[in-house]
Amino acid sequence: MTLFDVVFSGNDAVYGLTEKAIDDAIAANGADKAVAFPDTAYSLPCYYAVTGTKVTNLGELKEALGVVKTLMTREQRLHDAFMSGVATALCAEFIEALKYLDNPAPYAAPEAGHLPDAAIRELGVPLVTGDIPGVAVILGAAPTAEEGVELVKSYQGQGILVTLVGGIIDQCVEKGLKMGANVRVIPLGKDVTSVVHVVSVAVRAALIFGNIQPGDAAGLMKYTFERVPAFVNAFAPLNEVIVACGAGAIALGFPVITNEETFRVPKSLIVQKDVSKFNATSLEARDIKLKITKIDIPVAFASAFEGEIIRRGDMQVEFDGSRVDCFELVRTKEATEVEDHKIELIGPDIDEMPEGSKQSIAYIVDVAGKSMQSDFEAVFERKFHSYLNCVEGMMHTGQRDMIRIRVSKDTYQAGFRLKHIGEVLYARVKSEFAAVVDKCQVTIITDPAQCTELRHNLAIPMFDKRDERLTTLTDEGVDVYYSCIMCQAFSPSHVCVVTPERLGLCGAVSWLDAKATNELDPQGPCQVITKERVIDERIGEYEDVNEAVKKFSQGALEDVSLYSLIEKPMTSCGCFECICGIEPLSNGVCIANREYAGMTPIGMTFSELASMTGGGVQTPGFMGHGKHFIASKKFMKAEGGVARIVWMPKDLKEQVADRLNATAKELYGIDNFCDMIGDETIAEDPETLLEFLTEKGHPALGMEPMM
Amino acid sequence: MGDFKLTTVEEFEAATARLLETGAKVGADAWQLRVKNQTPHCKFGEQGVCCRICSMGPCRITPKAPRGICGCDVHGIVGRNYLKFTAGGAATHSDHGREICHTLYHSSADGSYKVKDPEKLTRIAKEWGIETEGKDIYDLAHEVAYEALMEYGKPFGYSRWTARAPKHTQELWEKAEVLPRAIDREVSCSLHMSHMGCSSEPEALIRQSLRAGLCDGWGGSMCGTEFSDVLFGTPKPIDTEANLGVMVAENVNIVVHGHDPSLSEMICEYADDPEMIAYAKSMGAKGITVSGVCCTSNEVAMRRGIPMAGNFLQQENVVLTGACEAIVVDVQCIFPALGPLSKCFHTKFITTSKIAQMPDSEFIHFTVEDAADKAKAIVKMAIENFKNRKPELVHIPDMKQKATVGYSLEAIKKVLDGVTNSQVDELGTLKPLVECITSGVIRGAVAMVGCNNPKIRPDTAHIELMKKLIANDIIVVASGCSAQAAAKAGLMDKAAKDLCGAGLKRVCELADIPPVLHMGSCVDISRMMNLVADLAKDSGLNISQLPVVGCAPEWMSEKAVSIGNYVVATGIDTFLGVDPYVSGSTEVTNLLTDGIREWVEAAYTVEKDIEKLVDLMIERIEEKRKAIGI
Repeated sequence: MTLFDVVFSGNDAVYGLTEKAIDDAIAANGADKAVAFPDTAYSLPCYYAVTGTKVTNLGELKEALGVVKTLMTREQRLHDAFMSGVATALCAEFIEALKYLDNPAPYAAPEAGHLPDAAIRELGVPLVTGDIPGVAVILGAAPTAEEGVELVKSYQGQGILVTLVGGIIDQCVEKGLKMGANVRVIPLGKDVTSVVHVVSVAVRAALIFGNIQPGDAAGLMKYTFERVPAFVNAFAPLNEVIVACGAGAIALGFPVITNEETFRVPKSLIVQKDVSKFNATSLEARDIKLKITKIDIPVAFASAFEGEIIRRGDMQVEFDGSRVDCFELVRTKEATEVEDHKIELIGPDIDEMPEGSKQSIAYIVDVAGKSMQSDFEAVFERKFHSYLNCVEGMMHTGQRDMIRIRVSKDTYQAGFRLKHIGEVLYARVKSEFAAVVDKCQVTIITDPAQCTELRHNLAIPMFDKRDERLTTLTDEGVDVYYSCIMCQAFSPSHVCVVTPERLGLCGAVSWLDAKATNELDPQGPCQVITKERVIDERIGEYEDVNEAVKKFSQGALEDVSLYSLIEKPMTSCGCFECICGIEPLSNGVCIANREYAGMTPIGMTFSELASMTGGGVQTPGFMGHGKHFIASKKFMKAEGGVARIVWMPKDLKEQVADRLNATAKELYGIDNFCDMIGDETIAEDPETLLEFLTEKGHPALGMEPMM
Repeated sequence: MGDFKLTTVEEFEAATARLLETGAKVGADAWQLRVKNQTPHCKFGEQGVCCRICSMGPCRITPKAPRGICGCDVHGIVGRNYLKFTAGGAATHSDHGREICHTLYHSSADGSYKVKDPEKLTRIAKEWGIETEGKDIYDLAHEVAYEALMEYGKPFGYSRWTARAPKHTQELWEKAEVLPRAIDREVSCSLHMSHMGCSSEPEALIRQSLRAGLCDGWGGSMCGTEFSDVLFGTPKPIDTEANLGVMVAENVNIVVHGHDPSLSEMICEYADDPEMIAYAKSMGAKGITVSGVCCTSNEVAMRRGIPMAGNFLQQENVVLTGACEAIVVDVQCIFPALGPLSKCFHTKFITTSKIAQMPDSEFIHFTVEDAADKAKAIVKMAIENFKNRKPELVHIPDMKQKATVGYSLEAIKKVLDGVTNSQVDELGTLKPLVECITSGVIRGAVAMVGCNNPKIRPDTAHIELMKKLIANDIIVVASGCSAQAAAKAGLMDKAAKDLCGAGLKRVCELADIPPVLHMGSCVDISRMMNLVADLAKDSGLNISQLPVVGCAPEWMSEKAVSIGNYVVATGIDTFLGVDPYVSGSTEVTNLLTDGIREWVEAAYTVEKDIEKLVDLMIERIEEKRKAIGI
């Protein structure tokens, strides 16, 4: 027998029973006898929603059955099976309605039977907002009472509303499980037809919250398919009536998970022999993602701790990437390769490390998700800094393989161990990136040999690959740029325009990051900016970019150029890694980075420069930017490019030397350009600097005056 | 449903009529006119009963003259003609495949041609037992390419690719003596057998026809597909547009036409070059638009999202827009008519292959070594031609549809992974599709392939068949000009799910796919062979038991007959809307429509009534379901 034949035959059986029940009721009470469910404004809600017709008495019920019959077509097509499933549900509703003839309370506690409108209004809101993440419909008896109750409790623990039909109710009673709407476990009834009471909830939710018009069957099915996160767990043995009901559920978009060997339909009818996996299978089938509200660690987790400093004396242990091999890494994996919430520690834990010692650590966060893209890896990784800092008594700095982490003595004594790092990363990644992460596991490694091995053979090649991806991206090679307004909380008129060759001035948001941020949260801080209408290619000015900047700065900023320091330079918030400013005597620019505390030849320190550059105001001749931008071919391209750089602090110069030299070689054919650039060991005043530049033959001296 | 609406054949025809008015103004010829001149067609030719393979003839068979001068009867003549027709097709596809192998052989890290899918290369190397460990990817590429080239002429053994077929299929082939040997050998052998004074027994001729077909589908074509993927990337879902409206009046329009992606890939590369775009702007255009016709279009659409201007019988329309700066062609299905037609406009007709040289064209010989320079020169030539446009002749029909294309077998598996449940399913298989089929949610699949043919109202058969199939929950995989017909109509827009039955619609929604999947060019029908082979393995059924059929309703070329032969020989019943010149022989007709079923468990059905053709396919699919009890 084909799957559809089973559905048809189950449907026929229920139809036969319904017809007989109605005929008997009419024979006993007459056709005018009123039929209704208590406490609902929606008549027989399922029938009303599907047809738009209210049934008030037995005679009309009989007519309605005639309408149901027209749904019961018998072609070997899913349409026919779906409609027969719907017909089965409607028959069930009719049979259940007859139970209420002359009996306002046919169900006795704990069974609820029909649920009043008020209950739906109460459940509906958290359901629609996602506070109740799903609705489980459990049908039949589990292989054992233990397994049944275990399953119910697992859903309950996730906030999922559980409805019970048939043998599972007795199993829950047997095990003394507390049931009721207040604990989100609602036994409906023993007969399989009582399942319609939960269908009725979904259908009325569509009418009440979804503004679906009664009679709009297609709209109703679309609503339940897209918005009601319900699913069915049907225990073996399945009879044809249950299969017919299942077809109705699937028609509404609710997958059926069963432990009986039967036909399989992806995302719809799933055979899971292991009842202990019903929960995970069901959630995945219905794409239900749980909000993680509590992180299982022995100390507090709050943004209040983000800026907390752990001094050496208070420190239990330190992991220091500048001395030993450390790294943090996010990897994209296939769903089958990731066990959700698995946290593994390889190597000694904190209690096996001497107090005050310096140790290796590496943590690898493997994520899987159908919408996951490897471009997001770096975005997640960059958040680890903030996540780990939010742990009370924990300090994290740096990124990639240059991280430093300190754990305080108090936190250690409170019971904090390394697996808790895993708990924090798991919980935050899963909740913040729920849109793309379906599964997440964390491996923490403290074994020094493995840290070394993995750092060089796994982490660094991955970082290099990401950097390489970034270097092949050019401003011309992409169709769109992105805005970034993450800083508007404190710099309300600043907008960064992030391009492949010009990352955000904080140094933390590359074009790929902005792209990922946009995809993860399309209404979020990074928005697409087109670049179709060019105004001036030399300074990088576009009509569409100007429009975007004006919009996102709430009108504070009219126009910006992407590549000029003098003409309409991009504004700065205050987060800049570096500031560059004009040094008139040498006809070039000096760059100071945030870490540099000394004097610059411009006559101002970094903080003095910052005071005149920040706040989202355009200051021609001064500009905040990221370190990475220094070696960009687009760095003040309008004024001649990197050849204008005459001075940088020594540390910064060393950091950017390789890339900057390569850029200068490519643009001007100059070898070892950095050797021509002054630093604080050469000059802190313009005259000495000029002497040095003249001696080196710095190209800026021969360029056109900037002002 | 939003504002989604299919474009109708009537709308296509209205647009063509408008273009033909332009043609009339400039005195252009058109296939519509030439068809009239050629009608009625020679009846002897149509029935396949004319023999001119020696100079004693030509002989033609009639009731009064039942044998040729050599004594060959009608069955021998029809059979020989059929075999020669097949050999022509097999040679063509396979030589295209050979070109790709050569290109792969010359690929290098700093050359024009690189290996874009090293993973696939490694996979194939492992499949072929070639050591991959520690090898430079280009060394490996050259080694694999060499082995592939040997497939064409190796003295012993059978095609390597046939090992991909299910065991049962391989056994059938062996038993029927159709397991293909070296590719060139099967082509030569076919021409030898059909020489004067060789085979005249229909059974032997048809057996060799199947074998020659198999050396194409499980030989040369598979080389073409697999190594194009290695070189240019394995297609994955990508959005594009189709129909003449993709051409942009303000831009320099370059149209690529033909079959071999080596040329078109390079043209696309350079048309995207900022230097070229700037040059186009300096010439008064707003930019450069590359669009495609025929299978070259399918290739670049699948890999780059390059829009499809049209299919086979629309090639002249491209020039008739008056906005085509250059139509650049490689090989196969190119109308010689394009030469004289281009002279009526400013259009440059550029031939590039020694295989396809034509009068009234500019021949720029394109080779692996100088591909980049030549491509650049061609793009430049098109740009410089922009100023020669006659504005009064420019008319681009405002007609196009959105399409999501790029469903290689790898991509289909990836899509199916998306509907698995990691608690119960494994990844990278076709099992979710098998489950949809066995449960009845999808009734079956039809591979829609082939050309256009003026004998059928162009595109009607493709589009109408597909509409009825998807309404009956039958998923369609399409390639070649059939795929383009679907795209032009809008059937490759994901919104077309609303035209499906409830089952296919649900599948499209859950998997986020259009109901008609674009699997590539005509060479890429080899992808469909791999698809059914894996379907058979993942379902535990034989290919011939799967509720899957093939259909070429508007076919016209020799290649199509070769394709038909390998599709049937693979165990897939194949439905044709045009007779393959065999109606003159009852014996050959009976063999093809029935007799070969004993050898390969499948056969042809020819039905010129399109409405009946689709019903026959649905019927066959339901029969196959019944036979296996699903």
